[in-house]
Amino acid sequence: MNFQGLIALVKIELKKLVRQPANLFLTLLFPAVLTLMFGVVFGDPEMGMDINLIVPGLIVYACIFIIMTTAQSFSTERQEGLLKRMSTTPMTSSEFMGSQIITNMLIAILQVVVVFVLAVFIGFRPNGGIGGIFLAFPIVALFSLSSVGLGLITATVSKTPEVATGISFVFILPQMFFGTFIPLTNTTRQIAVFIPSYYVVDALSLIFAGDWTNSNILLDTGVISIVSVIIVIIGVLLFEKYGNA
Amino acid sequence: MSAESRRKDDTAIIIKDLVKQFEDVTAVDGLNLEIKQGELFSLLGPNGAGKTTTINILCGILKPTKGTAFVGGYDVRKNLKEIRALIGVCPQQAAVFKFLNARENIEVFGHLHAIPKKELRERTDTLLGLLDLAKVGNKKASGYSGGMLRRLNLIVALISDPTIAFLDEPTVGMDPRARRETWEFIGSLKNQGKTIILTTHYIEEAEALSDRVGIIDYGKLIELGTPKELMEKHEAKNLEEVFLKITGRRILEGL
Repeated sequence: MNFQGLIALVKIELKKLVRQPANLFLTLLFPAVLTLMFGVVFGDPEMGMDINLIVPGLIVYACIFIIMTTAQSFSTERQEGLLKRMSTTPMTSSEFMGSQIITNMLIAILQVVVVFVLAVFIGFRPNGGIGGIFLAFPIVALFSLSSVGLGLITATVSKTPEVATGISFVFILPQMFFGTFIPLTNTTRQIAVFIPSYYVVDALSLIFAGDWTNSNILLDTGVISIVSVIIVIIGVLLFEKYGNA
Repeated sequence: MSAESRRKDDTAIIIKDLVKQFEDVTAVDGLNLEIKQGELFSLLGPNGAGKTTTINILCGILKPTKGTAFVGGYDVRKNLKEIRALIGVCPQQAAVFKFLNARENIEVFGHLHAIPKKELRERTDTLLGLLDLAKVGNKKASGYSGGMLRRLNLIVALISDPTIAFLDEPTVGMDPRARRETWEFIGSLKNQGKTIILTTHYIEEAEALSDRVGIIDYGKLIELGTPKELMEKHEAKNLEEVFLKITGRRILEGL
């Protein structure tokens, strides 16, 4: 295993985040703005919602956009010939994919921190204290795997980064509407159970409600883990077979 | 013949009955070729002749449809890991990270080759100096001119100090002065004992640099020899005329 190369690629991705304004906006500023706006507008009890109830959805909302950034990143690097060039080095494709997964897990953790800090700033007070954030990290990091996988699937079927941006909404919108903070009816919940983000929101809601011993958290985490691993494996296989040309 | 025994002779690359087909198009059509160690070999031909496809097969980006090739004694169908440790590839498109500066770009690719940090820093400094990018080494590649990007592209290919370097149209987009300087630099690589496979459609480039030239058209090798031999054989003033006499077309027509 070439750890030196793997770490170098993680660093590049993090530099990309800082040096490319569009990436920085989508991954960190967008969730921050969203948290403040949604928190202020929908967090008001007069709107029939509560900031304490929408924070899990806001965290997931931020993480869903990793689909778009991953798809854009891979299709840009493919268009610029970088993926081909990297494939001529001794770096293996599993080391390369590993670097992408690690980077996006780090980004997801950073997103949790941003949303959490801003949410506390505008009145979020989780039951059982802020300790729940430490449980939120691994759950959201696992969920980010599915976003990377869906991003890879998007990049596989998209010829350009622009097309990838559009197609990514095929995966973003269902998760946004059925698995964030938009209230579900009995009917829409029937759909939501097929959406990975639904389980993340359910687990985070229980954690932030202070119900840490609820067995559903473990069940949700199990579903997220299995689904995310399956999606990322499918994404990697599809991209390597059809998307890397 | 084992990989070890092949390495002992003086052949760096062996291409055997190589065919690459893309649906209806045969990009490489039964190519046979041997390139010696330490040789600067140019593949000359018009756009679409099959030069880049051949290089892409040799460095493992594409799989051959039929036939095979050995790079440094290793089979491109079986031993890509070993081949990748030997080669440096300068692609036709300047494939560098635009949001990184030159130094960062070079070092990233050095890390992918697992070069020790101190050695990597020294090589980076040397190559930046040799290709006249030392002063702009800390400037983001997005602010580089086309010629500067081409030079950075070449440095990235050479950071691993490869035994065999594939340079695919390395001077496209350079101004005449930068092109001449780069030719000198490429010539100096040969003096270091590296095997260089150059694809070009610049006649002067092939004539100035090559030990031998393989003229390729429609995926077939149509002529092979030193520039002097080819010009004498076809009673031509330059390689362009050689190509014209063989095919009835000019190399640059397709551009």
